[in-house]
Amino acid sequence: MKFNADEIASVIQSEIEHFQTTVDVREVGVVLEVGDGIARVYGLSGVMSGEMVQFPSGVIGLAFNLEENSVGVIILGDYLQINEGDEVKALGRLLSVPVGDAVIGRVLDPLGNPLDGKGPVNTTERRIVETNAPGVAERQPVREPLQTGIKAIDAMTPVGRGQRELIIGDRKTGKTTIAIDTIINQRESGVKCFYVAIGQKDSSVANTIKVLEQAGAMDYTTVIVAGASAPAPLQYVSAYAGTSMAEYFMYKGQHALIVYDDLSKQAVAYRQLSLLMRRPPGREAFPGDVFYCHSRLLERSAKLSKELGGGSLTSLPIIETLEGEVSAYIPTNVISITDGQIYLQPDLFFKGIRPAMNVGISVSRVGGSAQIKAMKDRQVAGGMRLALASFRELEAFAQLGTDLDPATQARLDRGYRMVELLKQPQYQPLNVVDQVMVIFAGNNGALDQIPTSKVQAWEKAFLQFVRDQKSAVRTQIAEKKELTDELKNALKGIITEFNSTWKPGGK
Amino acid sequence: MAEPNTQQEPRSPQSVPFDSGKAYLGTVYAKALLGVTQNAGNTAEVVAEFDSLVADVLDRFPAFDATLSSLRVSPEGKLALLDKAFNNAQLSSRMSVTLLNFLKVVMRHGRLDCLRAIHRALRQLHDALQGRVAVEIRTAHAVGKDELALIADKLRRTTGLDVSLLARVDPELLGGLVVRVGDTVYDGSVRNQLSRMREGAIDATLRTLRETAQRFVTN
Repeated sequence: MKFNADEIASVIQSEIEHFQTTVDVREVGVVLEVGDGIARVYGLSGVMSGEMVQFPSGVIGLAFNLEENSVGVIILGDYLQINEGDEVKALGRLLSVPVGDAVIGRVLDPLGNPLDGKGPVNTTERRIVETNAPGVAERQPVREPLQTGIKAIDAMTPVGRGQRELIIGDRKTGKTTIAIDTIINQRESGVKCFYVAIGQKDSSVANTIKVLEQAGAMDYTTVIVAGASAPAPLQYVSAYAGTSMAEYFMYKGQHALIVYDDLSKQAVAYRQLSLLMRRPPGREAFPGDVFYCHSRLLERSAKLSKELGGGSLTSLPIIETLEGEVSAYIPTNVISITDGQIYLQPDLFFKGIRPAMNVGISVSRVGGSAQIKAMKDRQVAGGMRLALASFRELEAFAQLGTDLDPATQARLDRGYRMVELLKQPQYQPLNVVDQVMVIFAGNNGALDQIPTSKVQAWEKAFLQFVRDQKSAVRTQIAEKKELTDELKNALKGIITEFNSTWKPGGK
Repeated sequence: MAEPNTQQEPRSPQSVPFDSGKAYLGTVYAKALLGVTQNAGNTAEVVAEFDSLVADVLDRFPAFDATLSSLRVSPEGKLALLDKAFNNAQLSSRMSVTLLNFLKVVMRHGRLDCLRAIHRALRQLHDALQGRVAVEIRTAHAVGKDELALIADKLRRTTGLDVSLLARVDPELLGGLVVRVGDTVYDGSVRNQLSRMREGAIDATLRTLRETAQRFVTN
């Protein structure tokens, strides 16, 4: 292969031939001071809030603070190249990012520039970063489930398309893993996924991308990175930029999922900007509008009405707490904005209960309407939360060492096995039909005779057995999405048949 | 600072307040002074007097300026100094009462360091009142008087305002003319045309490359 220099020359030549000399009209200002991602500019008398400005080095900024005698600009790029006295040009446009199918499978920075070395983003479509959320009339209630592929979540805190479900927990409790599992599980659902990494170590982002690639999830996923070393303005803007890219699909009538990992870091970046801009600090030194900063972001996740195509944008914001402190400022804010939360606890994590979800305080305010009928069934996940709650009460009581009557002992044993059944290794999401079958089996006592340590092996073998020998029943559940009495009986038959042959392997 | 170095500082002085806070204060005081002079009907004289104060006194005697601005000189000392300098019966031309009173008020508020900012703001406000607009033009080479008059005439007709021209030379423009009215710049310089041509050529090449990549390679 040889490059053809003449062709390139001819393109340039035609461009020059058709070049029209026009007078360039622009509104300008002068940089008074720069530092830490912000600049103070004198002039720009007609600039509007949120308008893009350009520095001589080509770096873009956003008018952030309009003051009586200066304009505060946040710099989206390298602020070290900007000097005092530089001319700043107002562009008369709002910040926008490239959108469309071309961004899928790419790793981008918050301005839509590629970071993965796969060439330019091949699209002409752009979307404004800060747009209004759809209004009341443009929405419909969340009904359709978004399967995360995680048993504990799909059974007890189901997520619907268009919902905002917060993932909250201390560091190293598996928050990102839940989000990644959910993305991996969308392979067949056609949901476009967006993973916004805000203020994270670049090494962990690289790792996440690798996991997604290995799982084949990059075919339908976009990763937007504003790493820990990125300037605070980029970290702040990244969440909105990612949302714009995801929204595009929602307004096209498709379904999208966006993960903000994590919003605590975004709030910290916003706090830095606000303090540098001398906006008054409030609680924990966050500015007064940090709530609005998150609420206007998360309100953009929606399930659109039929007239608008019925598309949806589901979001999974992540918040990192310190020492389990959920009553800190940002966690309480985001808890109140979202439609439920998945609360992860370190003690559960270290006990080996992974995902380390605290079932008692994790909720989904959309609830059963975001589950398929088969999952909602009383013999599957219907009464599971309550059953587990009563099990925990009983467990605490049993620790006192008193003698237990056989009925209580049986309930305890069932509980231990259900907890064991809800454990799930990372990056192995489970199809909802499989989830229904194993939870049904657990609730119907199929595991009562299996040693607790063998529950996971049983689960694996059972699912394999159904796949290999009883795929008809499985297909029927998948098609009907409902457990009829007939199917229940068939399942019970399968379980009995399997249990009569399956022997737990050596100790 | 009679004529700033045009080579190194291609910005007009009114657009370079190094302290935006002072610029703001200047506007406040200038508005007040303008109000007083309008009531007294001696705006033109006071503005001319202020011009001369800055150009003939503050610029020529930096030490005097520094004394007025200094925090170490007591208000009484400054008052005496102002009276001695501007209200001396032995002087041939004395300062008008309006301006002297104004200076004393500024002094009492401890803002004598803002005099230049006040002057700048006063000029701007006065110009605006007179329907005059300060226009800065930049060219790559010095422009002759006739051409300047031509440009001024043309600008006068397009803006419909009286134009006070400030010409500067900026060799980096390569050619053409850059006009600045307030914060708006009309850039017809060769430098701008070239850089836009460059951007256009890069864009066009990239676009064509994306659309028909085959055109550029021979197997």
